[in-house]
Amino acid sequence: MTVSTAPDARPAAAGGRRALGDQRRPVLVLNDVTKTYPNGRDALKDVDLVVPEGDFVFLVGASGAGKSTLMRLLIRDELATQGTVTLDGDDLARLPRRKVPHVRRKVGIVFQDFKLLPTKNVFENVAFALEVTGTPRRRIKPAVERVLALVGLTQQAQQYPKQLSGGEQQRTAIARALVHDPRIVIADEPTGNLDPLISWEILQLLLRINELGVTVLMATHDADIVTALRKRVVALEEGRVIRDEVGGGYHRGG
Amino acid sequence: MISFLLFSIKRAWQGFWRNAAMSLAATATMMLMLLLLASFWIVQAGFLASLSYVEDKVGVVADLQDTATQAQIDDVTARLQAMPEVRSIEYVSKDEALKRYREARAAQGQPDLTEFLPNNPLPASLEVKLRKPDDYKTIATFLGAESIVDKVQNIQDTTDRLVSLTNFLRTFGVILLAVIGSIVLFIVINTIRLAVLGRAEEIEVMRLVGASDAFIRWPFVFEGALVGLFGAALTLAVLLGAAEPLSQFMTGFFQILPISVGSISRDVTILVLGAGLGLGVIGAWVSVRTYLIR
Repeated sequence: MTVSTAPDARPAAAGGRRALGDQRRPVLVLNDVTKTYPNGRDALKDVDLVVPEGDFVFLVGASGAGKSTLMRLLIRDELATQGTVTLDGDDLARLPRRKVPHVRRKVGIVFQDFKLLPTKNVFENVAFALEVTGTPRRRIKPAVERVLALVGLTQQAQQYPKQLSGGEQQRTAIARALVHDPRIVIADEPTGNLDPLISWEILQLLLRINELGVTVLMATHDADIVTALRKRVVALEEGRVIRDEVGGGYHRGG
Repeated sequence: MISFLLFSIKRAWQGFWRNAAMSLAATATMMLMLLLLASFWIVQAGFLASLSYVEDKVGVVADLQDTATQAQIDDVTARLQAMPEVRSIEYVSKDEALKRYREARAAQGQPDLTEFLPNNPLPASLEVKLRKPDDYKTIATFLGAESIVDKVQNIQDTTDRLVSLTNFLRTFGVILLAVIGSIVLFIVINTIRLAVLGRAEEIEVMRLVGASDAFIRWPFVFEGALVGLFGAALTLAVLLGAAEPLSQFMTGFFQILPISVGSISRDVTILVLGAGLGLGVIGAWVSVRTYLIR
């Protein structure tokens, strides 16, 4: 099994959260991953990354450093040219096409531009994620109400995206990402379109979700947030991991 | 399975009306294209009927010797009857021929001079109708070789010209129908593709939250079917409205033709419904496919 090649991987049966950081079950393992686009450019080069369950990881780097490519590999929008990407024990390259949707349900995705549907209200936008995956109707309402309460949007449930502030829209998107009870939330610059105060609100929300046991991987440009929180930081530059430290700042030694 | 179907149909219905502008534009395009297809089909059917009407007129007429006995005539008739090229045979006796001649003269307003003749100069004849005008030569040769046949009226040149003309017109009609069919196919599929393109965001979200291909595809396919059915219904309504004045205008034309308006309207209904449904479904299927395969 590919997972076993990772230094801190343990058999899946070991499961559960462990007190010792490196002994936790890995949710995400990238093993020597290279992604070459058809134009010959290496977007990622020999990337090794292990994200244990319950981790909160910042992915930093300039535009074009490979953050977006990495995100696309995790949701199997792209396949790695070399190496393996393992998500919750599934090797994404070997996954049959019909299983792809099931793996995506283990990943909650949050985007910079929210990607809410304008013709649906907050409740419907969140419920949509369950409807299109064939969830029985009677299970949808309680699940949606639960996540809306979690992100603090119970009052706004009947409003449409254009009636909401940017922060509320992003919280709706986070609720939608959470409604499947994902193993990992992947946030691609979730605060990129928001002012600093609202950005902190979104960060608080992601931290709370993390405390509830959901692994969070957040790509960001926001140096203030990264430096202030002292979480694990993975820095990419020209497709390579140049730094991976726990409690680091946005910049080396920052 | 049933809940999946209900879900898809419900989503298709919602999708249609929540994007009403796009859906109605697609339906209007569908209607115009089906109308074009149906009109051409009707013209083509009338045209083909006219051609076969003209071709029916082609027959071999063999004048018989006055000495031919009834037994000999029966013998030739029986052998003709056995030939696959022959559709029908009519024996025209001398009296019958004279009667027809007189009627023709009277119809033209010419005086009848035959009563001054000492006897009937017109020969008895066999008029053979053919299944295909191409077979003129075969039958003419056969009859020419019979001893009781005086002579075969020769219309070989006219027949040849008619056959080559009708063959050309038939081929031309089929090609034109194929061309119009392709144009309709591409325009309708492109229109539906545009409607699906307008919903790319929705499809993207569905993919990202882990909707399986079937859950993404079928609502769109049903929506395409809806566009097709609405378009077909509108087309049939327009055709029905136009049928009455049109058929009055065409009555004279249709009366002489061996076609039934009933079978044409049945064919057109099937064509319009089938093409509408088929194009809608294929268009949606092909358009959504673009987003599914990665």
